[in-house]
Amino acid sequence: MTEITITGLNAITHPYLEVWDWRIVIYLFLGGLSAGMLVMCSIANLRITKQPVEELAQCVRAPFIAFIILAIGALFIIIDLGKPQSLLWGYLTFQPLSLMSWGTWGVPAVLVANALYILAVIPKDQRHKLKFPFLIKIAEKLAPKMRPIAKLNFAMGIFLGIYTGVLLSSFAAIPLWNNATLPILFLVSALSSGAAMIVIIAKKNEIKFLFTKIDIWLIVAELVIILLFLYGLYTSTAPYKKAIEPFFSFTSEQFIFAIALIAIFLLLPLALRIKLGELKEFEDGFHGEFTKAQIFRMNFAAVLVLTGTLILRAAIVYAGQLTKLSPY
Amino acid sequence: MPKYVMVIDVEKCIGCMACVIACKKENNVPEEHFRTRVVEEVRGEFPNLRMELRSELCNHCENAPCIDACPTRASHRAKDGTVQIDSVKCIGCKACILACPYDARYSHPKGFADKCTFCDHRLKEGKKPACVETCLGKSRIFGDLEEANSEVAELLRKHDSSVRLEFAGTRPRVFYIKKKFAGGL
Repeated sequence: MTEITITGLNAITHPYLEVWDWRIVIYLFLGGLSAGMLVMCSIANLRITKQPVEELAQCVRAPFIAFIILAIGALFIIIDLGKPQSLLWGYLTFQPLSLMSWGTWGVPAVLVANALYILAVIPKDQRHKLKFPFLIKIAEKLAPKMRPIAKLNFAMGIFLGIYTGVLLSSFAAIPLWNNATLPILFLVSALSSGAAMIVIIAKKNEIKFLFTKIDIWLIVAELVIILLFLYGLYTSTAPYKKAIEPFFSFTSEQFIFAIALIAIFLLLPLALRIKLGELKEFEDGFHGEFTKAQIFRMNFAAVLVLTGTLILRAAIVYAGQLTKLSPY
Repeated sequence: MPKYVMVIDVEKCIGCMACVIACKKENNVPEEHFRTRVVEEVRGEFPNLRMELRSELCNHCENAPCIDACPTRASHRAKDGTVQIDSVKCIGCKACILACPYDARYSHPKGFADKCTFCDHRLKEGKKPACVETCLGKSRIFGDLEEANSEVAELLRKHDSSVRLEFAGTRPRVFYIKKKFAGGL
């Protein structure tokens, strides 16, 4: 038996780490969501046949909404900073080994690429809504370059999606986070939530249907990766094995994590079931119109996916801080 | 460059906690926060018990994960080889607190990350860290490992030593020396 008494404890690190809270969860969720949306709307816009003069983007509102979502997400990490007034120091250096530094530079870079995308996809007849003449001019110049900008945003979306996971996995001191599966899991869940969000906001039925189909593959991949993530930790050494205990513990303190895992494995398969049901209704191909009930089901499945993604990120951020490399 | 290390002879610690208090007073550590701690570990079954008292602090690692995690170089290696924090450059992202496997850091009420400095202001004056100076049992020994005749170099030559969480690969500069367990626990 071992009994440990410690004099000189800091509440932020003992008995559990209480360093990152809901603000980081929201940052990671919104960052991943906007990353997924950028990737997905770039796929939609690159699918259309190349136009000789002016490109006609299919997915117009998604880049704008992705921008707002990422900007709000970035706001949450800024309010989590202990000294936000010193943020400028982050822009006077670049530290390649610091994931925070990648985020400091990367998030504004994604926002810039995203802003170009917003301007490039605005249809000709709606450019007057931009109000400022210089913005209209930029939009006119960017419109023919919609494809390369979509490709850039695809890459930026993948970067941002992976970044949200690598940020956590770079901490060797935190066994639950410190593995290579986590960035892949976060990327896939980001893509899945992006596809779900586009299903919700899309006005065009073919876009709604396309992303309902794409999300099926992403949900399956996400569920498989969650299982691999847990299995990988279970088969690892003691601190790593201990790190997944909260997800399988029914003590009052950690019950919430078991509930979270159960919720993820209820919500995502339910969304999958609904989406597969939709697909079955259109076995002979999609012909343009949905009934209200079909649209409701598609949106409902998308909301389930978004909820599952949020729960996944919250559970991993909080559960990670319960276990350390050190035994106390 | 000197290689400042601290050697902790766990068998000499009497658990007076004077180091914890001296550190707080010397460095004006805010209320409810600490830069060093004393761990009291009792092992075995009554009456076959063995108690170990162990001081813990920032290990000033040679391969410091906190430096890698810092986005602004606020956490940096000083010219004397110790790991220090520039509180002006620190943005309070707390990444270093998460990166440290030894839980050596805390968030200062003013927003920046804070931790043991090996009392670098005292080192510049040729003095030893406050915790070493005040240690009643002479459990904490401090010095430059590059000096072959220093007390720390001699102790580490004579005794088996260990570092905390060696497998983490951080190469700490705080060493622990202790004799083998007597009771076969």
